[in-house]
Amino acid sequence: MDTMHRWAKRGLMRRFVAPAVAVCAAVVGVGCSSSAPSSSPGPSTGSSTGAPVTIGVATTLSGAFAAYGIGGLDGIKLAVQDINSHGGLLGRQIHVATGDDQVDPAIGETVTRNLILNDHVAALFGSVSSAVGAAQEQLAGQYKVPIFFHLANDVGLTTTTFNKYAFEFSPNTDMEPASAALYYAREIGHGPVRIATITPDYSFGLDTVKAFLADLKKDGVTYTVTDQQTPALGASSFTAQIAAILATNPQYVFAGQYGADLVTLTKQGLGLGLFSKAKVGGMYDLQVLQALGAQAPAGAIAWDRAPFWTDNSSVMKSFVASYKSVYHGYPSEFAIIGYSAVQAWAWAVKQAGSFDGGKVSAALGGATVATIRGNITIRACDHQAEVNEEVGTIASAPDPTYGVTLWGSDVLDAQSSQIIEPCS
Amino acid sequence: MTPVTAKGRPVVRALAGHALIATALIVAVLAVAPAVLSVTALLNVQSAIGLALFACATNLLIGYGGLVSFGQGAFYGIGAYVVALAWLHLHASFWISFACAPVVGAAAALAAGLLALRTRRLYFALLTVAVSQLLYVVVQQLQFAGGANGVFGAMLPGFLTSSDNAYWFTLAVTVVGLLALWQVTRSPFGLTLRAIRENRERAEALGVNVFRHQLLAFVISGAFCALAGALFVVYDQSANPDLLNWTESGYPIFMAVIGGQFTFLGPALGALVYEQARDVLLVNFTDSQLVFGGVLLVIMLAAPDGLVGLLGRGGRELVARR
Amino acid sequence: MSHYLITFLSALSDAGSLFVAAAGLTLVFGALRIINIAHGSFYAYGAFGATTLVGGLAAGSGRFWLALLAVPLAVACLGAAVEVTVLRRVYSRDHLAQLVVTYALFLIFGDLALRLWGSQSRSVPVPSPFAGSVTIGGGQFPEYDLFVIGAAVAVGLALWALLQRTPLGWRIRAAVEDRELLASAGTNVPLLFTTVFTIGAMLAGLAGVLAAPLESVSPGLDASIIISAFIVSVIGGLGSVAGAAIGAIVIALFNTAGVLWAPSWQPAFIYLAMIAVLAVRPWGLLGAAER
Repeated sequence: MDTMHRWAKRGLMRRFVAPAVAVCAAVVGVGCSSSAPSSSPGPSTGSSTGAPVTIGVATTLSGAFAAYGIGGLDGIKLAVQDINSHGGLLGRQIHVATGDDQVDPAIGETVTRNLILNDHVAALFGSVSSAVGAAQEQLAGQYKVPIFFHLANDVGLTTTTFNKYAFEFSPNTDMEPASAALYYAREIGHGPVRIATITPDYSFGLDTVKAFLADLKKDGVTYTVTDQQTPALGASSFTAQIAAILATNPQYVFAGQYGADLVTLTKQGLGLGLFSKAKVGGMYDLQVLQALGAQAPAGAIAWDRAPFWTDNSSVMKSFVASYKSVYHGYPSEFAIIGYSAVQAWAWAVKQAGSFDGGKVSAALGGATVATIRGNITIRACDHQAEVNEEVGTIASAPDPTYGVTLWGSDVLDAQSSQIIEPCS
Repeated sequence: MTPVTAKGRPVVRALAGHALIATALIVAVLAVAPAVLSVTALLNVQSAIGLALFACATNLLIGYGGLVSFGQGAFYGIGAYVVALAWLHLHASFWISFACAPVVGAAAALAAGLLALRTRRLYFALLTVAVSQLLYVVVQQLQFAGGANGVFGAMLPGFLTSSDNAYWFTLAVTVVGLLALWQVTRSPFGLTLRAIRENRERAEALGVNVFRHQLLAFVISGAFCALAGALFVVYDQSANPDLLNWTESGYPIFMAVIGGQFTFLGPALGALVYEQARDVLLVNFTDSQLVFGGVLLVIMLAAPDGLVGLLGRGGRELVARR
Repeated sequence: MSHYLITFLSALSDAGSLFVAAAGLTLVFGALRIINIAHGSFYAYGAFGATTLVGGLAAGSGRFWLALLAVPLAVACLGAAVEVTVLRRVYSRDHLAQLVVTYALFLIFGDLALRLWGSQSRSVPVPSPFAGSVTIGGGQFPEYDLFVIGAAVAVGLALWALLQRTPLGWRIRAAVEDRELLASAGTNVPLLFTTVFTIGAMLAGLAGVLAAPLESVSPGLDASIIISAFIVSVIGGLGSVAGAAIGAIVIALFNTAGVLWAPSWQPAFIYLAMIAVLAVRPWGLLGAAER
């Protein structure tokens, strides 16, 4: 064979055979690195003293919602640290394994499945997004691992996609607008009033507004809806929507925005005079108020799932102090809810005397647990925690203790009995 | 001295044996995977296999056709939605809707191609992004498509609920798909496509209908991307709008670039490597984006012909000629 | 009536913001033929840098004006570093390789930002001479938004002066026209490229600082701005600064009109506009015909 033939042969070999060999090698590599000694889920049943047990936090740790996921994770880690320093759970130390779902249901599933099958987690703590949460819930049911939702709060998680391994620790998407409606009703009386709404254009935002308006009517308020705006989630400019709302002269405005969107909406609304022309309400939680600083709109209605500054119990105060010493900041509601979820799980483990998913879930359903938020009852029918939501108005000056403008003293502690839908 | 051409017959015949053996080897290794791997690892490989089809189908356009489309995610998503929506609204048999997915993908690609191929090079890429993003935004508004959450549920037939069966099905479909794509690249059509990529004006001067060739390539790629999307449903039992996003379209491009754009199986290798790497990154690194970006950068700067280029130095000679 | 005026002014302010953000992107593309996805990262770093410099200080502290000067310069340095170390190696490669490289940088910078500034939303108070609102018709309009419109016009004029009236500008325009000829005419093309890229980065940083008082500064800012800047540049014509101005106004008006008439479909309109422009006149409204 002459030189050219030899060259061509080598070239074609490289073109096909080399990649083929590489593909085989890659597959073998995947097999070697991912295979676990046993692929059965559930915590390794080590001896009662010694072998640590792992819990999995599969949530959003990057991107626009990272603040929520990371905040919740911090609360969970603190709870684990506290348990470990008191001798662990059933004599075993707890480890926390994490996974980032990047707000993508497919990635969330992969991450969750890995935590279940590779890390053998005894419990899961779920995502920020309810869409991811629904996928996680299905896996938890399949592999019989209890999953606790401390962030995602769509009511579908306790109804349409519910299974007995899932637990919801936040006020759900029925409860939250119901609490806001109670406060608005208290402010308004019977009306009639003119209301406008602005909310992000996706299921959470739209459901929240619908529920709010329905609850407002149930609370005896007569109103006309002058305008309803639905900007995209994460939009950088709400000026057109705000201007449109102002043109209809509402007396009250209900905003479904949260987090960064609410900060943007507030700043732009202030410039356009929204807060002086109407009474606005939104989810003004710690993170939003910290971001706004001096621009926090005094007198605006605010609701939060677990605002630590309205809770004067010694339990909460010591939690806040301990959180501050570890993280050098104040806990968001997600840290608080996450912490309480771990407390509930730990209690159920002690009750059941085991880490087994089925036993733990059975022990927790219908039980009342002592947490940093006080005694919380987990409803037996749908595992919704009977939690309150707080609604108040934003103060006009920074709080002397915390250095951030928070809420005034007139806070409505909306009881779960007032806001929760009865079991179907 | 017998001249060696792209169709150098004596050489190819001599090598046909080698190539066949190599292919058989890969398929054999992959086929026995369920016996060796754990459930998570198996699902990982299954996902990677489906993505390999996606990446190779995309590479037909990018590597062979020289048409950088940043919107193949649109067809991937369409494939997934066809299966999911047929299950949701029509209660159709899975097998029928699975077979329909590439057909719908081809039709969509025809429509998109008629529009997009009016432009060249960079603007073509931008147009594909715009079309894919438009679809992404529109689907989220459509209630019957599940809105922003998409569609999910038990849409697989009983046979495919076993993870082993699902794996073998994915493998079988991918192998057949890749064989078909391989045939396309080796056919006169494929060679003409490459000629167009090298020098469009010369091809036109030789009487080639460039538009029709490129359109056909677009349609074929769209069909196979949709097929890969239908395989996604086998893996995940869902269809969501994120599949249509431009970031999803980026994946097969990265895989092709990482694995090697200028070989047929390069993208498949890239898919395997990417899937495995991403899995490791997500669980073990909080800075997964940093690591992924870093690796991508290093590969782009140090190994321009991808991993395949690294593996076969002779390949680079071939690459330079192509 | 005043409502429409306010809405129109809001659209102008949005357009001004968009223009400054897109001007750098389109300029870099025109001269270097690179679509720099990391342009979004430069913008975000500008905004985050402003939040660091201004800190928790009140509106009257004057820190914002310091940030307006210092932060874009810092981002410019970052841009220069990126160009010299990374981009120089990919100029000879195809568009796809360049896109992947800048996307890799985008990922890296995004993660670094999360490390540097955390995941929480941040905000910069509206700076003091412009902290109030003016009454227009019956409605209220923020003074700062008027400042942004003015700043955008100033940036536009400065760029026009640079491109049309200075030797550097002449060289940049020549690079847009015909790179090889410029090199053979004796210009130090690598230095020119670095200069243009640095200017582009500086503009991105400037846009970020300007935007910081207008919205929340949080993770994801880089991704959202790059898409908008991209669309604006394409519609206006890649490589044309004047085109970026027109594109920005078109997009801002589209957004506003969408809000008023068909809110749910508003994002779709933007992409339709982009498709229309690309299908009919791919080089954009003011771009030079066919590249």
